[in-house]
Amino acid sequence: MQTTGLHKLIELINLTESTYILRIEKKDMEFEAGQHILLGKADDNDQREYSIYSGTNDEYLEVLIKEVVDGSVSIHLKNLNPGDLLKVEGPLGFFGLSKDKIESGKFLFIASGTGIAPFHSMIKSNPNLNYNILHGIRTCNEAYGKEDYNSDRYIRCTSRDNGCDFEGRVTDYIQQNNFDSDTICYFCGNFKMIKEAMDLLESKGIPGSQLHAEVYF
Amino acid sequence: MKYHIVQLGCQMNISDGERVQKVLEDVGYVHTDNPESANLIGVIACSVRQKGIDKVYSMVNTWNKWKNNRNLITFVSGCVLPSDKEKFLKLFDMVFTMSQLPELPEMINHYGIVTPAGLMGNENIQVEQEFTDNSPQLGGFRINKAQIPSSSTLVEKKPEDIKEFWNIEPKYGSNVEAYIPIQNGCDKFCTFCAVPYTRGREVSRPSEEIMNEVKTLVEKGTKSITILGQNVNSYGYDKKGSEITFAQLLEKIGEYGNQSNKEFWIYFTSPHPRDMSDDVIEMVAKYKCLAKQIHLPVQSGDDKLLIKMNRNHSMLKYREIVSTIRRLIPEATLFTDIIVGFTGETEKEFENTMKIMEEFKYNMAYIAQYSPRPGATSSRWDDDVPKEVKKERFHRLTKELTKYSRKHNNDIIGKTLRVLVRGRDRKEGYLSALTEGRIVTRFASNDATLIGEFVDIKITSAASLSVEGELLKN
Repeated sequence: MQTTGLHKLIELINLTESTYILRIEKKDMEFEAGQHILLGKADDNDQREYSIYSGTNDEYLEVLIKEVVDGSVSIHLKNLNPGDLLKVEGPLGFFGLSKDKIESGKFLFIASGTGIAPFHSMIKSNPNLNYNILHGIRTCNEAYGKEDYNSDRYIRCTSRDNGCDFEGRVTDYIQQNNFDSDTICYFCGNFKMIKEAMDLLESKGIPGSQLHAEVYF
Repeated sequence: MKYHIVQLGCQMNISDGERVQKVLEDVGYVHTDNPESANLIGVIACSVRQKGIDKVYSMVNTWNKWKNNRNLITFVSGCVLPSDKEKFLKLFDMVFTMSQLPELPEMINHYGIVTPAGLMGNENIQVEQEFTDNSPQLGGFRINKAQIPSSSTLVEKKPEDIKEFWNIEPKYGSNVEAYIPIQNGCDKFCTFCAVPYTRGREVSRPSEEIMNEVKTLVEKGTKSITILGQNVNSYGYDKKGSEITFAQLLEKIGEYGNQSNKEFWIYFTSPHPRDMSDDVIEMVAKYKCLAKQIHLPVQSGDDKLLIKMNRNHSMLKYREIVSTIRRLIPEATLFTDIIVGFTGETEKEFENTMKIMEEFKYNMAYIAQYSPRPGATSSRWDDDVPKEVKKERFHRLTKELTKYSRKHNNDIIGKTLRVLVRGRDRKEGYLSALTEGRIVTRFASNDATLIGEFVDIKITSAASLSVEGELLKN
């Protein structure tokens, strides 16, 4: 059920200089992992859509935010203090796992940057999920919440750092590896990455009907 | 006292404007086409394109100059982004949402202008003791604006408060054709569109009210009714089972049509492919009064671009819908909306849109060259397809459209079709009409009594997007 209201900020967790998590009151909001909310300061007209980062069973709502230098929302949200009020509307959107596939499906999550947020929620909400994640980031320290994933299933693809799992873009990783044709793929983040990754996976035999995406930018 | 309304944008805005007019006329205002003679001027704004909003700014600046010489109240409503609302509050006397429309008489009343509305009780107006040059001058009063409950102090309305707005009986713009809103708002968040930010979330109007409005209009002799919603076929979803579905609503209207012994056509716009179910198409096929014309926006024929547009459906799904339409209603005409030159659209992606013209053989496509819509997600992305490329794609696609619409129109030459006469045609001695499939038609006649009536015509010639015929004796 969608709700609109003011929610208190519980905590602001800085992950990097420009990336942070907002942990806010959940109130009675129920959502499906993969959905998003509209979020803004209580006294501000501007709101933005943010994927929910927390699990469906968590007692709070979390969103993962990358500060946009010339943006009009993310910069202001970063200056909030615990107890401050946020305008929250949601849950919204249709990005999510097919219920009939959660138990038996083999999932590949492909994200760039903060596009990992909906997958974090899906994994936290479904502890027995059979998944692998390809996370496209520039440097290893952008591997937000890596401790929440099984290290065997989480592959950091870094474009400017050779200190972690795979040096190169997610599309390079896909090109160099094979995937079972029954893999269900979810993409989130940059459209260029999504488009290239989809084309590659289709060329490797994964049908288009098994590819699902949400574009951030 | 006279009012003038400027309506910008889509059918939803026209429908909203009909209710605004009714509220104004109920408090004694009389409509004028001439803004210069109006005491009250309102805009039903549209945020779909920046051009529309720029137009509002330009108009209000002119009207504010007129205020130096005469009494004038201005207001703006309709699709307004929160950021524009802030600016409009400084330029217009009143800014309100459609949910707040029932309070419009009170707002005008508080402004103290001497009108039938003002005379209903202006005891709250306090004449200012010491005037400044900036004090508002209204209806012969100079009043202290600080004492006026302005639109900024109106109680914030929730999306579901739109119900009060729907209870207002509209002043229909025509006795022959009418719009009925069945839903307000949008939950889809297509990246090119600002409606979710201007109208809020989807709220469905009670089906009982919709049925009452349909029946009232049909009894009054309305021949063509379009039921409106941003995503008309997700009607009822927000009620989580406590309201009927869109297909069930169509069924109710269809049953009423069968029992009424009246001839009328019901259209709906716009359905979203994501929520288009077979039972909606089955209802259109089953009931005579449900017009055999489907407007199914596609926006792009390329799967990847549909993802970027956040349309939440694939071309496979769209193909399945069209295939069901063709199977169950072979005579149906098919209309669509397409955007060319969307941010990042490659030639290959555009070619995929070209291909669907042949595949789906649309009778009409409303093709728009992409322009960033302020407030929409894609307005923060590069508008990187050059203007001349957009233009060229627009022309190529239009040419492709007319190839198939022309063929359809040629194929109906010699057939007898029922048409609804809408008025005089631009061609002297001709009347203009629409077929049930909304193909523009004209036929030679000077008989004005036919306007607003159904007649049979035999199609004699065809153009790309229209046909011509001969009136048959009934």
